[in-house]
Amino acid sequence: MPPKVDREKCDGCKAENEPLCEQICPGDLFTLGEDKKARCRMPRDCWDCMSCVKICPKGALETRVPYQIGYHQAKLIPLMGTNSITWTLIDLNGKVERFHYINRGSLD
Amino acid sequence: MSLKVTPKIAIFFANEGDELSQSVDLAALVPRFSRAKNVSCCEVLPGGGAGKNREDIIAKYQQGMFNRILWVGRFSPEQRRNWESDLAAAGLNPYLQEWCDLREQGIYHEKDLRELQTQKAMILIQMSLARTRLLEPLEPLCLPGTDAVLVVGGGTAGLHAVAALAQAKKKVYLIEQQSAVGGKVAELGRLYPRICDPHCGLDFIIQKIRKTKSVEIHTLSRVVAVEGGPGNFFVRVLKAPRYVDEERCNACGECRKVCPVVLPEETSGPYGCQHAPETVCESTFRKCAISPPWPLNFPTAYVIARPLCPPHCRKCEKACPSAAVLLDQPPTELTFRVGAMLVTTGWDPYALAKVEEYGYGRYPNVISNLEMEQQDALPGEIREVGFIQCAGSRDERHLDYCSAVCCSVTLKQVLALKEKNPAVRCYIFYQDIRTPGLGEELYQRVKALEGVLFIRANPAVVRPRQDGRLALRVEDTFSGKELDLSVDLLVLAGGLIPSEGTSEIADVLKLPRNAEGFFESHLPCHSEESQRTGIRVGGTSRGPMGIDRAIETAQQAALDVLPFLQETIEVTPTVPVLNLSKCDKCKRCMEECPFGSFLFDAEGFSQVDLGRCRQCGGCMGTCPLLAVSRRHSTIEQLAAQVRAVKPSFLAREEPVLLAFLCANDAYPAVRRAAELGLSIPLNVFHITVPCIGAVNNALIADALAFGSDGVLIAGCRDGQCHYIKGNQLIKTRGDDLKAKLQSMIMDPRRVRLTNLEIRDSRAYVELIHSYLKELKEMGPNPFRA
Amino acid sequence: MENKGITTLNDIKTEIIETDLLIIGGGNAGCFAAYEAKTQNPALKVTIMEKAQISRSGATAAGMDAINTYIREDRGETPESLVRWGRAQLGGGPIREDLVLSNAELLNESVEMLEEWGLPIVRDDEGYYKLRGRWDISIQGEQLKPIMAEKAMEAGAQVYNRVAATNLLMAGDRCVGAFGLGVRDGKLYVFQAKATIVATGGACGIYRSPVTDYTGSHHQTWMCPFNVGSGYAIGIRAGAEMTSLEQRWVAIRTKDFCGPVDTLAVGYGCLMINGRGEKIMADRYAHLGGEKAPRFLRLNAPMTEWLEGRAPTYVDTTRLSSEESKELREDLLNERPSFVLFLASNGIDITKEPVEIFGSDPYIVGGHTGSGYWVDIKRMSTIPGLFAAGEAAGGSPNKFVGGCATEGRIAARGALEYLMGVSLPAPPADQIDREKERVFAPLLRGGAFDGVTAVEMEERLQRLMDEYAGGVSQFYRMNEERLEHALKQVKVLQDQTRYLFASDLHDLLNVHEVIDRLSVAEVLLHHLIYRKETRWEGWQTRMDYPEVNPDLDCFIESRRDPLSGEVKVFTRSYEQLVAGDRTKG
Repeated sequence: MPPKVDREKCDGCKAENEPLCEQICPGDLFTLGEDKKARCRMPRDCWDCMSCVKICPKGALETRVPYQIGYHQAKLIPLMGTNSITWTLIDLNGKVERFHYINRGSLD
Repeated sequence: MSLKVTPKIAIFFANEGDELSQSVDLAALVPRFSRAKNVSCCEVLPGGGAGKNREDIIAKYQQGMFNRILWVGRFSPEQRRNWESDLAAAGLNPYLQEWCDLREQGIYHEKDLRELQTQKAMILIQMSLARTRLLEPLEPLCLPGTDAVLVVGGGTAGLHAVAALAQAKKKVYLIEQQSAVGGKVAELGRLYPRICDPHCGLDFIIQKIRKTKSVEIHTLSRVVAVEGGPGNFFVRVLKAPRYVDEERCNACGECRKVCPVVLPEETSGPYGCQHAPETVCESTFRKCAISPPWPLNFPTAYVIARPLCPPHCRKCEKACPSAAVLLDQPPTELTFRVGAMLVTTGWDPYALAKVEEYGYGRYPNVISNLEMEQQDALPGEIREVGFIQCAGSRDERHLDYCSAVCCSVTLKQVLALKEKNPAVRCYIFYQDIRTPGLGEELYQRVKALEGVLFIRANPAVVRPRQDGRLALRVEDTFSGKELDLSVDLLVLAGGLIPSEGTSEIADVLKLPRNAEGFFESHLPCHSEESQRTGIRVGGTSRGPMGIDRAIETAQQAALDVLPFLQETIEVTPTVPVLNLSKCDKCKRCMEECPFGSFLFDAEGFSQVDLGRCRQCGGCMGTCPLLAVSRRHSTIEQLAAQVRAVKPSFLAREEPVLLAFLCANDAYPAVRRAAELGLSIPLNVFHITVPCIGAVNNALIADALAFGSDGVLIAGCRDGQCHYIKGNQLIKTRGDDLKAKLQSMIMDPRRVRLTNLEIRDSRAYVELIHSYLKELKEMGPNPFRA
Repeated sequence: MENKGITTLNDIKTEIIETDLLIIGGGNAGCFAAYEAKTQNPALKVTIMEKAQISRSGATAAGMDAINTYIREDRGETPESLVRWGRAQLGGGPIREDLVLSNAELLNESVEMLEEWGLPIVRDDEGYYKLRGRWDISIQGEQLKPIMAEKAMEAGAQVYNRVAATNLLMAGDRCVGAFGLGVRDGKLYVFQAKATIVATGGACGIYRSPVTDYTGSHHQTWMCPFNVGSGYAIGIRAGAEMTSLEQRWVAIRTKDFCGPVDTLAVGYGCLMINGRGEKIMADRYAHLGGEKAPRFLRLNAPMTEWLEGRAPTYVDTTRLSSEESKELREDLLNERPSFVLFLASNGIDITKEPVEIFGSDPYIVGGHTGSGYWVDIKRMSTIPGLFAAGEAAGGSPNKFVGGCATEGRIAARGALEYLMGVSLPAPPADQIDREKERVFAPLLRGGAFDGVTAVEMEERLQRLMDEYAGGVSQFYRMNEERLEHALKQVKVLQDQTRYLFASDLHDLLNVHEVIDRLSVAEVLLHHLIYRKETRWEGWQTRMDYPEVNPDLDCFIESRRDPLSGEVKVFTRSYEQLVAGDRTKG
């Protein structure tokens, strides 16, 4: 059920009403719960674009593949640099692969 | 709009005394960088840049051969300053020069390592070059200002600040809650060392203020709201009615003769004093609703405690020969535009009733030291007086701190008492007597007096005797004996706490306070700093202190605000700039700015108040969208520097470490390490930032992504950050990042935070060596190519 | 829940915004349109109405790994050769060659603009953009959307995020702006504009996705599920002419995840194979062009393998080296990162086992096929003042990222020309009141209303279209009687929209999304019924008319009468501008 909010890490972006995930979600799926933490109101409606995972400054969001189509528990973790991105991919057997490439500006 | 000029960069290698050419292979570096992008000339200056070189460089600049300079070598701060000013005189903007000091980065005359050092130098120059390409010419910014200033709190500290500012020909508004100025000092009986009347000193300063025409005093007033920033504060003040015209009233006292309100004597006993100025004051005849101001007669006009008036009574109005009584006066709201503010809201006595064991409030002959101050003479039957020190201070149940003045106050009171009643016997119960500096003389004088006994212990039991005296039981820690004493009067040396007015103004101005409730400051560098630019604090609102220090700090604060009291305020151009097309209005910058510099604009974007901003770059560090950049240390410049670090110059098993250094403490520590010739390994690369809080997590991510094995984040020690909490901000963010690294199955030790002060050069070098060892054990960063 | 305290019509605030140019949708085409308009005439007021948040909205929210069309002139490619190829991809068309040509002429410039703005484009050893296949160039486009959004804003466009278009604002036959629902503030927005560009993207979710029913992942679709066809719907309801809606885009995708296949097949030359290990295109369909066969055939062929008992179907990735596998997954991370996670979740090492493929649900996307508004060469629709670009504009298939961006620029130029000398009428109070009532009625019914939820109606529509109008469960096959049944049911659903209710503003958005999908579905069914032939097998397979009918070598057009609601279907003829065999490119 994508996406999953780690309620320990989420600080609701300390905002009065809209945390960054709520601002960014193309599907209008995030909202601030009464506990002032981000909440996905309709996980089934997520497109897995991972915009929220990329933008979360607390690393509190994770995209999960629904169990019906993917085993527990692989992970894909983006880490945003200034002009580059890294991805850490951990498959269901715990095998780790890393990706890193430029996502802005010249490739020199 | 700034016109973008294509960078034409001159690289000058300062090879003074062949120092550089001994450490690195200049013959390889010069041609290599002559061909680099945007480099228009690349030369070695044999003499390090003196004499002929100077004229030559200026001539080349004027011929248009380059429009920015990258200096490579070793430069003293003086050399840098000279070059900057010489070239600025020739027209080169000082922000278009960059300095790449190789020695700070661990490059020495190591013949064996020359080749490796050359490779490291290559990377270091690339890093600086990447930054140089992105340099922009900057000019100081000018903000509109005003020469008016507002002082909150008209006690001794405030009055001295007002006098100093008025003397500097500034327009001063003094805001005081009471009906008169004077504050706590006006309540004191005698001042040490002259044992003189404090009103004398207050009168003197008041006369000084009176002579200037530029001071406006508003009593019975409090600040209710503040908008704007340095240079342009708009302060709203609520002024309660005095019911007496300040101009007309000449304090003749006719009104008091007709006032039907007769207030009872205080119930607290013969020594008690009533601290409720609006309702009552000392009077020669009786206490009534209309009375002279308090605690001093400045301004002189009387004041009416309107709630005490009987319904429909207008007797005073009729009796006043000057028609000064205004029984229907409404409250007024005033707004002042000022360039800066001073807060000198002072202290209150600690509520001694809380120190239950001493019976204050229960027994009439237990009084506070402040009440003792107001006793002109003690009744004749008094033979023995006890003084208990630290009543509430240095006591974990009450106040953790030493209230600083109580020892001297007690000694002074004993001295005054013995002068008038030499026969009175005094017991001083104490933990330590603290009279630092010249105060020792007072201590010795009192010690030498007949009939003064110092007992190193505080009474365990105080209880009334049938004869009205007080029985004390105390264990003298010197003799180990239990003593039973009795006294006629017990004086408690109570502690100082922040005044109610201090708490109130802190809320209105959003001034941060320490755990004790006093205003916080960065003691060594900005002692009168309030963490809100353009607002300074002085006197006892900053902590317990004597009158002399209160006056000094207030005057210092007054001096500190002068730069804000100009028609235009010049701001260094290294301000943060917001890219609104990236900003998501998440307001983290606003939340985390240590100086509250961010405001909302009309569309809900954060907007930085350039006057308030202290240019630490914390906002740049915190922005999750990289929408904030501090000029001259922009996120792009830092990113370009990070990206230029190429760990591959060392063998894969050799760890490479990128260290971000805070410019205030960590960088000087590293520079000093280089000067001391300590061994900074080639594995480490330094990048200096204005404050460690300016390091964005994305930069650390970059460093790891581009292959550095570890990232060291070196900020100030706790409590020493010039920008209050930069080192705490990065700690929270660093912890987030470490948690993320952990989830990425990376060792979170690859990011390490450390706190350094300027003297920690050796500690830094040791840390680097041990961290490199640790990183070596961890093995290469999985992102390292 | 968030309904901003709205309980009666009086609680709803109306915000009227006057602008010179309104752009509905801040995606790829919209951002480029805004940038073009502001740079051509900085004095103009340019406003973007954006349903989500512009920096990560729409189809490119996750990023892109390639720009699918770039004309490498050094290789002898020209705008004309791109037209020929595009035409052949459509089995010879018909396509609007005038539109495709005008797009092709500006295409490279748009791509180069993206690079200048900071999009990393991979170059080959000679410094040219690196090709993968004939037209595709590789990009590292994770930041594609934020880059475009920043440029639109830097150019000075005013963006209204979280405002969803509900209908056009009309002055007689002329479009003078649009209405929007403030999804966060609960306001009714009235944008009065001298000219309006629809750039809302296409329509997803008209059909059921093959993955929907058996997972908690309702939006397991290839196209962005938040593009629901609102751009078409507002035009349809206002009487705009639509073209070629029957030319549905259905693509072969990775099975169970709707991940991209072109990246694997075109980018890395992995061939499609069937359960017996036979090469599907290269061997079984060599006569139709093999691997170079048009896209609809590349869909239909593997699906036929399923029907004829030779499934499952795969792309054979097992020949890839581990470096190539990594590089390939890096590309995927730029476009659909969760697919990489899907592979890892199933422990699939693509160098050891092939990737299973299957057909997607059908989409109406004018950036890929020819579906959308009928527009003139300036991209003005048949409604004066209303322009269309990108997926919303019909007639010019195979636009993809570069073409949609370019079309945004062309539409902006057209709109700028049109709006000079146009003046705005006073805001029409009656139209505003009517729209406010229509838009907010489901919210005013309240959460306790005994009615129908948006999800319920959406799922009913999607199942209906899937089974009766050629969805994936039917291997895209359809026949007249089923289509007629579907049309009848759509009418019932449209009547039932009066039972829709919403308990908060997000619900209300979902309600209007299903209403918009119904508007598109209705007209789509008319198109499908009208084309009594099978021209694009897979995309449009009529079991009752299995052959191509030469008489239907034309565009199928429709117009819904805004007053009667009647849909009129007619044809427009095809005009060949670029000479040559239409099926060869």
